Amino acid sequence: MSVVTKVWIDEGCIVCDACETTCPEVFEVTEDTCLIKDGVNPNDFSEDIIEAADGCPVDVIIYEIAGAEDDSGEGEVPAEVEPEAAPEQVAPVAAAGVAGATAAPAGVMAAGEGEDELAAVMNGDRSLHVLFGSQSGNSEVLAATVSKKSADYGLECQIHDMDGFDLASMASMKRILIICSTWGEGDMPDNAEDLWQAANADGAPNLSGTHFSVLALGDTSYEFYCQSGIEWDTRLGELGSTRITDRVDCDVDYDVPAAAWMSEAMAAIACVDDTGTFHADLVEQMKSKAAGDTSAAGAGVAAIVVLPEIQVTVSIFRYDAQTGAAGQDTWACAIPGHHSVLDLLRTLKATQDGSLTFRDGADSDPSTGLMVNGRLVLPGMARISDCVRVDGMLRVEPLAAYEVIRDLVVDLSTYQNMRASSEPWFVGREREGVNTEQAVMGVMDASVATTLHASNDISSQSLLHASSDTVQVNPDYIGPAVVGQLWNRACDPRLSDKAGKRILTTLCGINGIKAEADMASVSRQGRIGTIGAGNLLEAKNAVLGEESFSGRHGKHVWWFTWTVKSSGLLNETILAMQTMGPLGMMKNLPQMVRMSAGFTRTGGPIMRDKQSYLAAFGIPASIGKLPPLVNSSVDNHHEVVALFNAFDKRF
Amino acid sequence: MAKGYKYAYYPGCVAQGSAREVEDAMQGLARVLNIELVAMTGAACCGAGIMKQANWKLQAAINARTFAQAEAEGLDVMTPCASCQGNMHEDLVKLQSDAALREEINEVLERVSGNRFEGTLQMRHLLQILVEDIGLDVIAEKVVNPIDFPIGGYYGAPMQREGACGDDDPFEPSYFEQLIEVLGGKAVRYAGRTQSVGFPSLLSEEESALKMTAAVLSDAKQEGAKILATACPLSHVNLDTYQVKAGKVAGVDTSIPVIHLPELVAWALGCDKNRLAQLRTRVMVIGD
Repeated sequence: MSVVTKVWIDEGCIVCDACETTCPEVFEVTEDTCLIKDGVNPNDFSEDIIEAADGCPVDVIIYEIAGAEDDSGEGEVPAEVEPEAAPEQVAPVAAAGVAGATAAPAGVMAAGEGEDELAAVMNGDRSLHVLFGSQSGNSEVLAATVSKKSADYGLECQIHDMDGFDLASMASMKRILIICSTWGEGDMPDNAEDLWQAANADGAPNLSGTHFSVLALGDTSYEFYCQSGIEWDTRLGELGSTRITDRVDCDVDYDVPAAAWMSEAMAAIACVDDTGTFHADLVEQMKSKAAGDTSAAGAGVAAIVVLPEIQVTVSIFRYDAQTGAAGQDTWACAIPGHHSVLDLLRTLKATQDGSLTFRDGADSDPSTGLMVNGRLVLPGMARISDCVRVDGMLRVEPLAAYEVIRDLVVDLSTYQNMRASSEPWFVGREREGVNTEQAVMGVMDASVATTLHASNDISSQSLLHASSDTVQVNPDYIGPAVVGQLWNRACDPRLSDKAGKRILTTLCGINGIKAEADMASVSRQGRIGTIGAGNLLEAKNAVLGEESFSGRHGKHVWWFTWTVKSSGLLNETILAMQTMGPLGMMKNLPQMVRMSAGFTRTGGPIMRDKQSYLAAFGIPASIGKLPPLVNSSVDNHHEVVALFNAFDKRF
Repeated sequence: MAKGYKYAYYPGCVAQGSAREVEDAMQGLARVLNIELVAMTGAACCGAGIMKQANWKLQAAINARTFAQAEAEGLDVMTPCASCQGNMHEDLVKLQSDAALREEINEVLERVSGNRFEGTLQMRHLLQILVEDIGLDVIAEKVVNPIDFPIGGYYGAPMQREGACGDDDPFEPSYFEQLIEVLGGKAVRYAGRTQSVGFPSLLSEEESALKMTAAVLSDAKQEGAKILATACPLSHVNLDTYQVKAGKVAGVDTSIPVIHLPELVAWALGCDKNRLAQLRTRVMVIGD
């Protein structure tokens, strides 16, 4: 007996009712076509379906039988039907016939047929579209997680921000996952509002060829818990889309339920084939495949968040070393927001100006760094939409810390030579190995190893070098990248004492960490800046402590902190006197006089309120703007002292 | 009656010391814009990026105490100082995201002051409050003395990072420029407006700090600014008091009047007409 695994209706139905008469459990003839009824399992009615197909006067009933996928001509498929071509010829209306099929019994195929069936399902179009509606970013993060997992299910994922998404395009998608949070009192997130309005407008598209599932994020402390997700779930159903798995509602601790939803929804939606037909019987196998297929596990697939085209005015720095000519070239163009800056540069070079020069390479190539609207980026990793200014301007410039060779290409040897001369080589100490099952080997405490790795997890050291504003004015400063690498070495317990001492000497030198004038310029440069500034701070802490806060740098930090302990507030007078000393004060006499006389070059309040003629509270201070020699303490100053005593007794 | 705003006011040490004109201007603009500044008389120094070079946890504990005081009042903290904003915001995020650190500090804090820091407040700079809370349209209505010069706004580096500058773009900010236009000026965009002038090292790494200062001043002048207004009273020391020396060290023209953001706003709103007259004289008669 033949087992029908799939049935659908081709174009050209003449609504003669013959099929419905033969098999009313499967076929339903409407005014203009014939549909496969919801929830039908075709193999329950195999004989009737084949009979109806045979009796169809226009041969639009098409079916597949188990084991006949390669059209072996066994006579089970009508001769006039070409199974191989059928999936491309038919509209995916057959998908409507499997709504609610998640409850359908699994394992309906004959043993041994499953793997072939699964392979067949995973052929052709495997696109998965994930739409996120997000206020705080959680939904977007979950969408990215779906994208990473999608390769395990043989899916090619595209993530869409609901903001700017074209609802009409949804009708042509076979597989849709919605991840949406709820904002305020049951409101849509800001980026979902326009799409929600469109979905509820008169012109909303018919989604009968699509399958979907919804993950709703919310907070049970609010009355309208997960309301946005609930509404999307309902509305997509109303528009004709087929719910592939039930919606899952998540509270603020969403990790576990979201993971469970992904497991169910992705396995199910991965069983929607190229024609839009859902194979409920393959879901369990799909789960096993995803769990056992380690080829893509962990590697992940870069999330592509498809964004609408945006109008951009690109201004690119140009420089010709031979002529010495420098300037800006400007182009106005429209480009999808998710394209990278590197994509844009390649396009301009290919279509507008072949002489445009920049370092090309892999997206994560650390030598390709540029400055885009003030951000230090690897252009292959930087989306246009993340960098473009509100007015559409995109300024692309070479890294300011380096000499420009041509256009956007800089001479990175500045950093490389600095690194080489700092000798950050690893010279290990002798230590005892541990006898493990594999061999005797050196081991390290896991937490130390993790910390060391994290502090050196920099995507581009040459980019980090350029993040410090000090590097531009002090060419002898080794820079934040080299400081970070040296500090990383210094913290490595495997390092020999001699090498550690040499590294600390470099860090303590005048061109070491003390040369960094302001860590804030480093720390603001995203992830590498945060890690880089963290290394700088730890190195500075260590160096100043090592030198017992001596020298100008040490005194500066010491007396700043000391004055805060003494009154709760900084005392600028004491700080300047103690840091600069009498000689330094003399050298800066004009500045000192200006400050103490109380006027600025702008014309400040000279001899402010004539305080210079007063002895304020018996203290000969407050001359002009001159800060008091002795601060008044803040209220409850003893609390400040107690905190000092608790966290640092050195002061 | 117009809608009022209320903040825990953290002026910063310099506004209480060598830059008291900031305090004058703050009181004036607050009065005109119906902002209630709740004095934080117990708040200690934020550390200015310097104290953490001795001990970052100590600085976080001192700032946690300040945050706890504002939380007790149920208020967000407002400061006119970009360094305070950047520094305190950094510690606020650190304390909010690290439960173990928060608990360690809270244990001590509770013992010494009876307060705990719960992480419910926001750290805001005056510039953000003017644009996001008060509204540029409201400010425009109250301008009585338009400051009609080309003005460069100086943001500085400390608060120009993700999350610390409100909804403004950290790298291509526009709040200052929008405000300048509303106050009657012509906003001058120049690349150096978010660069550091090296204030934390002015006393210890002077040459670098002065060269960084000169780069900012020179850039603003070359782009056509006649006045520089700064959102950071600490940077003002470099930009104004050390202006001549910076120019000499770097060998560039740095001569330009530098005022504080609160002064720019307060004078445009009709406060301290004498200071505004001095500024006009400096720009229109004396020139560079």
